[in-house]
Amino acid sequence: MRRAIISSLALASLLLIGAAAAHAFDMQETPSLRARVAQGKLPRVAERAPEHPLIVDLAADGKRIGRPGGTLRILMAADKDTRLMVAYGYARLVVFNEKLQLVPDILESFDVEGDRVFTFHLREGMRWSDGEPLTSEDFRYYWEDVANNKQLSPYGLTRALLVEGEPPRVEYPDLYTVRYSWTKPNPHFLPLLAGATPLEIFMPGHYLKQFHAQYADADKLQKLAKAAKQRNWAALHAFKGHSYRNSNPELPSLEPWVLTTPPPAERLVFVRNPFYYRFDAQGHQLPYIDTVTMDIVDSKLIPLKTETGEADLQARYLRFDDYTFLRRGEKQHDYAVRLWRSGTGSQVALYPNLNVKDPVWRKLVRDVRFRRALSLAVNRHEINKVVYFGLGLEGNDTVLPESPLFKEEYKKRWATFDLKAANALLDEMGLTKRDDRNTRLLPDGRAMEIVVETSGSSTEQTDVLQLIRDTWAELGVRLFIKPSQLEIFRMRIFAGETVMAISSGLDDGIPVAEISPAELAPTEEDQLQWPKWGDYYETHGKTGEAVDLPEASELLALNKEWETAASHEERTRIWQRMLEINADQQFTIGIVAAVPQPVVVSNHLENVAEKGIYCWDPGAHFGIYKPDTFWFDNAPAETAAVKAAAP
Amino acid sequence: MSADIEDRLEAPHLAHYVSTAPFDPYAIEAMAPGQERYYMAGQWRLMWWKLRRHRLAVVSGALLLFFYLSITMSEILAPYNLHTRNTDFLYAPPQAVHLFDQGRFIGPFVYGLDTGLDMETLRWVYTANPAKIEPIRFFCQGDAYNFWSLFEAHFHLVCPADGGTLFLFGTDRLGRDMLSRIIYGARVSLTIGLIGISISFLLGMTLGGLAGYYGGWIDSLIQRLIEVIRSFPELPLWMALSAILPVTWSPVLIYFGITLILGLIDWTGLGRAVRSKLLALREEDFCMAAILMGAKPSRVIARHLLPSFMSHLIASATLSIPNMILGETALSFLGLGLRPPITSWGVLLNEAQNINAVAVYPWIMLPVVPVVLVVLAFNFLGDGLRDAADPYH
Amino acid sequence: MLGYIAQRLLIMIPTLLAISIIVFVIIQAPPGDYLSSYVAELQSQGESVDPQKIAFLRAQYGLDRPLFEQYFVWLTGMLQGDFGYSFEYNLPVTKVVGDRLWLTFIVSFTTILFVWVVSFPIGVYSATHQYSIGDYGLTFLGFIGLATPNFLLALVLLYVANSWFGVSVGGLMAEEYLDQPWSLAKVLSVFAHLWIPVIVIGAAGTAGMIRRLRANLLDELQKQYVVTGRAKGLPAGRLLIKYPLRMALNPFVSDIGNLLPHVVSGATITSIVLSLPTTGPMLLQALRSQDMYLAGSFLMFLATLTVFGVLLSDLLLALLDPRIRLHGGTTR
Repeated sequence: MRRAIISSLALASLLLIGAAAAHAFDMQETPSLRARVAQGKLPRVAERAPEHPLIVDLAADGKRIGRPGGTLRILMAADKDTRLMVAYGYARLVVFNEKLQLVPDILESFDVEGDRVFTFHLREGMRWSDGEPLTSEDFRYYWEDVANNKQLSPYGLTRALLVEGEPPRVEYPDLYTVRYSWTKPNPHFLPLLAGATPLEIFMPGHYLKQFHAQYADADKLQKLAKAAKQRNWAALHAFKGHSYRNSNPELPSLEPWVLTTPPPAERLVFVRNPFYYRFDAQGHQLPYIDTVTMDIVDSKLIPLKTETGEADLQARYLRFDDYTFLRRGEKQHDYAVRLWRSGTGSQVALYPNLNVKDPVWRKLVRDVRFRRALSLAVNRHEINKVVYFGLGLEGNDTVLPESPLFKEEYKKRWATFDLKAANALLDEMGLTKRDDRNTRLLPDGRAMEIVVETSGSSTEQTDVLQLIRDTWAELGVRLFIKPSQLEIFRMRIFAGETVMAISSGLDDGIPVAEISPAELAPTEEDQLQWPKWGDYYETHGKTGEAVDLPEASELLALNKEWETAASHEERTRIWQRMLEINADQQFTIGIVAAVPQPVVVSNHLENVAEKGIYCWDPGAHFGIYKPDTFWFDNAPAETAAVKAAAP
Repeated sequence: MSADIEDRLEAPHLAHYVSTAPFDPYAIEAMAPGQERYYMAGQWRLMWWKLRRHRLAVVSGALLLFFYLSITMSEILAPYNLHTRNTDFLYAPPQAVHLFDQGRFIGPFVYGLDTGLDMETLRWVYTANPAKIEPIRFFCQGDAYNFWSLFEAHFHLVCPADGGTLFLFGTDRLGRDMLSRIIYGARVSLTIGLIGISISFLLGMTLGGLAGYYGGWIDSLIQRLIEVIRSFPELPLWMALSAILPVTWSPVLIYFGITLILGLIDWTGLGRAVRSKLLALREEDFCMAAILMGAKPSRVIARHLLPSFMSHLIASATLSIPNMILGETALSFLGLGLRPPITSWGVLLNEAQNINAVAVYPWIMLPVVPVVLVVLAFNFLGDGLRDAADPYH
Repeated sequence: MLGYIAQRLLIMIPTLLAISIIVFVIIQAPPGDYLSSYVAELQSQGESVDPQKIAFLRAQYGLDRPLFEQYFVWLTGMLQGDFGYSFEYNLPVTKVVGDRLWLTFIVSFTTILFVWVVSFPIGVYSATHQYSIGDYGLTFLGFIGLATPNFLLALVLLYVANSWFGVSVGGLMAEEYLDQPWSLAKVLSVFAHLWIPVIVIGAAGTAGMIRRLRANLLDELQKQYVVTGRAKGLPAGRLLIKYPLRMALNPFVSDIGNLLPHVVSGATITSIVLSLPTTGPMLLQALRSQDMYLAGSFLMFLATLTVFGVLLSDLLLALLDPRIRLHGGTTR
C-alpha cells in the first residue's frame, strides 16, 4: 500500500515538474516540513501543490501576510467535537466568502446552467492529505459505489440530492470535470455544498475501496469488520469514511489540519495538511499554523481554562455572561476578549405551537391577534438591559441588519412594548372574562395559563421567561415555566402536547437572497411553531398534518416559488414577502437578537477579525474567516511540528 | 448521680452508736431520691440526660429547631417576596449593616447604593453612598405575599427603608435578594429530607424487620434485594428514576417524586441496621423471658424489641437526613432534580456552580452556608443521639 | 467453608441476572435511543442531519430491533466476553473504558489512603478523648468536608489552586504533558494535580470514617476486657492498640465490598467538575446520550465487583474474627 502511494507520487511529480515552474509566484517550503522534504519523505512544495493553487487575497480581507509555525490551542467538551475542525477548516468545493457570496474553493471553477446543470472543474494536481490525487474518480466512487449501493445506502439517496424525488444525472467527462444535472432547478445544491455540515458528494475512493465489498476480498473484509467490532462491511465502510465526524486519523482529507490522534484522548492533535491547496500571495502554503491541539475538558470548565490562558482561540462553550470573568485574565495571560455578534435571528424566541392538540388553545394560538398581543406585551428593552447589558438588538425573530434583506419594519412590527394595545387586542377577541386573580379566562372557562417549556441547560431562557411573566401578568396571562430535557422537550412539541416553547430563533440570521428561505416556511418537523406541518412537508404527506392556515400556505407557496425563481430580484422579492409575513403574523415571537458572543483571541494570534458574526450556517463559526490564514507573530521561524507553544 | 452513691456509702460510719429507730432490713436497698430518679427513669429520659452532656448536639438541635420554625413563616422572615426583582440592582453585593454614622448612633441601617455600569468589563458597579442612610425597619409593612397561599399580607420582620434597599446577602443576576431566596429555599430543602427519610424509614423498618424477625428465605430474598440496589452507583439510579417521572407532572409533584427517589434508594442502609439489630436483640435475655412467659410474637416485637432499638433508628435517621439534603443539591447539579423557577437550596447552589459566581460574584455561593450548617447540625445531633441511645453505657 | 463459598457463588447467578435486567431497564427508561438523542443534540445546535444516514446507523446499531432481542444480544455477548460497542466513541466498550480505568485507580487509591491516614488518628483521638475540645474540634473539621456540597468545593479549590498556586485547571496533569510519554516530570505533574480531587473526594469519606471508628472504639472501650486490661496495669497505648482497636477495625474490613466498585467508578460529580479523565464522567455521559452498551456493560462491571466484594469482605471477616459465623442469623 505504502509503496503504491510513493510510486504513484513519483510518477505524478514527474508530470508536475514542468507545471510547477509555471506558477506565477515562488512557492516557499514550510519550515516545519523542510526536514521531511530533505529526507525525501515528502515531495517538494511545488510538487505537492495543485497546478493552480487557490491564492488567498489576504489584503482584500484586511489581513496581513503571516509567518508559518506555531500551535493553536483550542478547548472542546467531547471527543465528537472533532467534527468542528471540519467546520473551522472550511475546505469545501464551494464556500461562502465573508460577503456571503458563493465562490469556488476546492473547485477551480464551476458553471451553472439555469440552476439545473452544475459543472465542476477540479484543480489539476490537487491531492488528498495522503498525497493521492483528487479526481472525478472520487466523485464517481461516492455516486456509484456509495450513494447508489444497496448495502451502504439502504434507505436511498440523501434527500438533498433529490429534486421532487428525482436524482441527478452524474457524468465525468474527464479526470477533472464532474457534472450534476437535474431536469428541474436545484438552487439548494451549491449552498449545501458550502454548508458548515457539507453535503457529501465525493469520498477518497483510493482509501475506502479496501473496505468496500466490490473491491476488497470478502474474507479479508469480514476479518477487518470483526476486528473493528463492526457488524458487516457496510458498517465498517461507514465508520471509516465518516469525514464530517472526523474521528478516523487514516481517512484522507482536504482540510487544512488533519487529525493524527485516534479518539478518545484528552488531547487531540491536528497537524497541517502538507498537500493543502491554499497559498498566500508570497507563496507560503497555508495553513500558517502547524498544529492545532484540541483539549477535551468538561464544558463548564472551559471558561475557567480559557481565562487561565489555555486557549489561543475560543468561542465555543463561552457564553455572554462569561465576559466579565474572561476580561479579568486578559493582561496576565496575554489574550483579548472580542465581542462578535451571534448570527441567529433571535437569541431567544417564543414558539406558539400552532399544532397543539388542545382544541381551545389551538384556536387561540392560531388567532394572529393573540400572538400579536403576546408579542406586544413583552418588554424587550428591559430584558435586553437586564440579561444582555443592553447590547442585544430588540425585536422580532427575523434577519439581522447585516443581511442585505433586512428592513427595519421586520424587526419592529408588533414588537414594541405596548400593554394597552395588547390588552385591547385580547379584549377584541372576546377574552374579557377574568378570574379573581385577574387572569383572563379561556373560552371554556379555564384560566389562561400558558406553560412555556424550555430545554435550556443554562438559566438564560428561564431568566428571560421570568421577566416576560411579569409583563404578561398585566395582560391577564399567567406564564409557567417548565424545564425539561432536550429530547423530551422536542418529543412533546412534535406530538402537540406543548402550547408554547422557548428556544433560539432562526438559525441563519444573515441570509442572502440566494440562500433557501425554507426556514421561514413550514418545511421541517424541527420548526417548533408548526412541527406537524413541517413533518407533513418533509415526508411528502406520509405523517404530520397538512397546512390549514392561509398565511402559512402562502409561505409554503413562496418557498416553492423561490426554488424556480430565475433572477436575483425575483428571489429578493420572495424573501422579503416571506419576512414580511413572518413579522406580521408573529409565528415566532423574537425577543433579543445579535447578542454578543465572546471570542477569546491570543494577543499573538494575527488575522482574526476584530468584529465578526458568530454563525453556524452560513459561517461555520470561524470557518468563513479562514482560520488557515491565522498566524502567530511570536512563532519561531523554525518550529518543531508538535511542540506546545506556551507564550 | 455517681456523687449521690458515694455520699450514701460514706455517711453512716460512727462507732458504737445504736440507733433507737426501728430496724428496717431493706434500708440498704432503699434509694435516695436522686438515685431513685435515675433507676426509675424511662429510656427516653435517660437518653435526654445523656444527650444533654453532648453540648454540640444540644446546640445543633436548637439550631435545627430554629431552621424548622423559620420555614413555617418564611414569608414574614424574608425581607422581600420570593419573586421580587430589583432590576436596578443586578448582582448587587451584600450590604453591611451599620449602627453608627460618623460617630452618631442611628440604630441598624445600611448605606444606600449608587449604581454604575462598567461598559468595559460589562459589570454593574455599586458604591455605598454615605449620604444615603437607610434605616432598617422592623415589624413593618413591605412586599406583598400570599402567606402559605392562604391570604395576602404585607407584614415582615425586617424591611428596607422606604425607597431604600436591604440586600444583606446581595442580589443575583435578576436582582433578587439572596437572603429571601435562601429563606424560601429552606422550605423545599428541609422538608425534602424529612419526607425522604420517612419513606426510607418505612421501607427500611418493614423490610429490615421482616428479614430480621423471620429469617430464612424472606431474609435471603431481602438481603439479595439490598445487594442489588447497593451494587449500583447512586448516579444511574437517580437518572433512571428521574427519567421515569412523568413529564406532565407539575413542579410540586416532581418535588415529591424526587423525595421518593431519594427515599427509595436510601432505605437499604437502614434496612440492614434494623435486620442486624433485630437479630441481635432476639437473643437477649429479656426477649427470651418474654417469649417464655408466653408473649405472642406481635407483643414481643411491639413491646420489647421495637422500643429497645427505636432510639438507634432515630439516631441513624437523623444521620441520613443530611444525605437527603445533599442528594437534592447533587440532583439539581446534574440537572435531574428541581430546577428553576422552584427555589431550593440545591437550585440556588446550582446557579452558583459556574466560575462567574466563584470569581466575580462570590455572594451567589452564600446558600452553601445554610446547607453546611444544617448538615453539620443534623450530623452532630445524630451523633449525640446515637451516643445517648445506649443509656446504660 | 468451601460449601459456603459454593452456595454464595450459586446465589450470585440470579442476583447478577436480576441486576442485568435492571441495568437494561435503567438505560432504556428515558424515551428515545442513542441516535434520537444524537439528532436532538445536533439539531439544537443548528447542524443538519441526514435522516437516511440515521436510519442506516439505526439498523447497523441494531436499535431497530425489539428490546428483548437487544437485551439478549447484549447478555450473550457479555457471557462471551464481548461487552459491546460504544456508539459515542465508535469503539468497542473495552477500549473506551480501558484507558480511563487505571487513572481512576490512581485517584481512588490515593483518596482511600488519604481518608485512612486522616481519619484514623482523628477517630482514635476522638474516642479516647470523648467530649473534649479536641474531639469536638477534629470531628467538626471532618464533618465540614461531608457537609459542603462536593461540586462547589471542587470548583472553589480549582479556582484557588489556579490563582494562588498556578496549577492548571482540571485534568490530572499539566496540559503540556497530555500527549507526551511518561516521564518523571509528568508523574510530578500528576501529583501536583492529584491533591485537589483527593481532598474533595476524600473530604466526604473522612467524616464517615471518623464517625464509624469513633463509635466502634467507644463501644469496645466500655467492654469488660478493656477494664480487665486496665486493671492489670497494661500501658494505655498498648492496651488500646492491642485489643479494642483491632476489634474496631472489623467494620473497615466489611467495607471492602463497598469500596471496590467505588474505586472503579470514582466520585462522579467531583470528576465532572474537575474534568478528570476517569470513568465517572464517561458513565454519566454514556447514560445521558443513551450509549447503551457502554453504560450497560460498565454498570454490569461495577455491580459484579460489588457482589464479589461483598463475598470477599464476608470471607475476610470470618478469617479475622472467628466469632463471626458465616451463616449469621439466617439459619434460625
